[in-house]
Amino acid sequence: MIVLGMVILTSLAFDFTNGFHDTANAMATSIATGALKPKAAVALSAVLNLIGAFLSVQVALTVTNSVIRIQDSTGAPNPQLTANGGSALLLIVLAGLVGAIIWNLLTWLLGLPSSSSHALFGGLIGATIAGLGFSAVKWVGTDTKLDGVVGKVILPAVLSPVIASVVAMTGTWIIYKVTKKVAEKFRNDGFRWGQIGSASLISLAHGMNDAQKTMGIITLALIASGNWTDLHAVPLWVKAACATAIALGTFIGGWRIIRTLGKGLVEIDSPQGLAADSASAATIIVSSHLGFALSTTHVATGSIIGTGLGRKGAQVRWAVALRMLVAWLITLPSAGLVAALAWAVGHFIGGLAGAIVIFAILIGCAGFVFWHSRKNPVGHHNVTDEWETSAGDVLQVPVVPVESAKEAVR
Amino acid sequence: MSQLWLALQAGAQVLFAALLLGAGLPAIFALGMRSLAYGAGGTAEVAVESKPRPVGKVLAAVCFGVVVVAILLGISWIVGTGMGYSLVFDHLIPTFRKK
Repeated sequence: MIVLGMVILTSLAFDFTNGFHDTANAMATSIATGALKPKAAVALSAVLNLIGAFLSVQVALTVTNSVIRIQDSTGAPNPQLTANGGSALLLIVLAGLVGAIIWNLLTWLLGLPSSSSHALFGGLIGATIAGLGFSAVKWVGTDTKLDGVVGKVILPAVLSPVIASVVAMTGTWIIYKVTKKVAEKFRNDGFRWGQIGSASLISLAHGMNDAQKTMGIITLALIASGNWTDLHAVPLWVKAACATAIALGTFIGGWRIIRTLGKGLVEIDSPQGLAADSASAATIIVSSHLGFALSTTHVATGSIIGTGLGRKGAQVRWAVALRMLVAWLITLPSAGLVAALAWAVGHFIGGLAGAIVIFAILIGCAGFVFWHSRKNPVGHHNVTDEWETSAGDVLQVPVVPVESAKEAVR
Repeated sequence: MSQLWLALQAGAQVLFAALLLGAGLPAIFALGMRSLAYGAGGTAEVAVESKPRPVGKVLAAVCFGVVVVAILLGISWIVGTGMGYSLVFDHLIPTFRKK
């Protein structure tokens, strides 16, 4: 029972980190262009995440099924894991969450927008390998279904930023073409309004998509420990707790990440902000409808790079983009490694004491990261300060004018 | 290998739909801004200053209207799907139907 309580607390803590890690995806561009004041932006995003989380009625209890085998296709946990109050399953989930949270906190400290869903899946995969072996991980799907680590995590992560950047680039190019004869101030004022609208859509979609992963995991833990039996519904208090946790996290605002995404990658104007936000919103919403699992972080980053590529003369700081890319590549294995270690510690100490020790390790790590972050705080007061370009941050983008590109094709 | 092929197929679908919505709607919004500036005249345009032209404002209202309606339909569609309804168009009037 105490272990179950820790799993629930850790899930909510993950949901909270998910919130502040991803505030930037929706609001970084609006804050950077001055469409919204920093505090107003995070407040708006928090409220919309809360609404979105409550609107996600069709919560999948099978959230872990795409990467690991601890549940059957109806969502029921495997019987061999539910013995003894589900302690085997609870330890895997707890260790997985610990790995995910620690990775999320570290990347936040570095201001890197890594994917929270990759951290979660990485953590679960790592804990599963440690606990049940390699065969308990679903690596690839069948011939007819996109599934497994490759189909649900790796391939979408490669494709989604490309898709988003193509959409954002196209949108940016059209916008600047159409509004060429509109005076700059008039144009920017108008586009700020559009930007607020499209950023709001991302926040709503984020609340719908991300909060339900945690809802599914808490409910799985409740089922495994025999405290809930319905495989088609989530307890109302779980939904309310998850919605609140993600909204609070969003409201705290991951200022470090907002700064990197909004100021570090590309210097953007409000028309570009609108193009990037619309591209992100459309890509996230369309793909979640088509069941193509992707990470809002990858999409938002792709869109912002795309909008830099779509405007003549704009610069993308490729060195910053490269750092992000590295963070993306190592998110899954790193979160997995931490989770596997956490599982090992919990398993060898054993029982309640083991779970308490890894919970304590998590609190210790969180405290350390927080203490470290106080050394150079980033908050709403300095989030939009000029980006100090370090040597090598800027590489001139080879912007090919579309006309000459067409000619080259001919 | 089949996973790669399936992912590319799904990705192509996403790309197509996202281009339509994620670049199409901003394009209409940009047209609205262009019309609004045309309607406002004066310092709103880069070209020589001109008198306000009301027709521009009407065109702008139409463009912005299209964008807002599209977004509202989009949200109701997502929320509706989540609650087990599907959005159908009965003689162009959007209505919800229980699945």
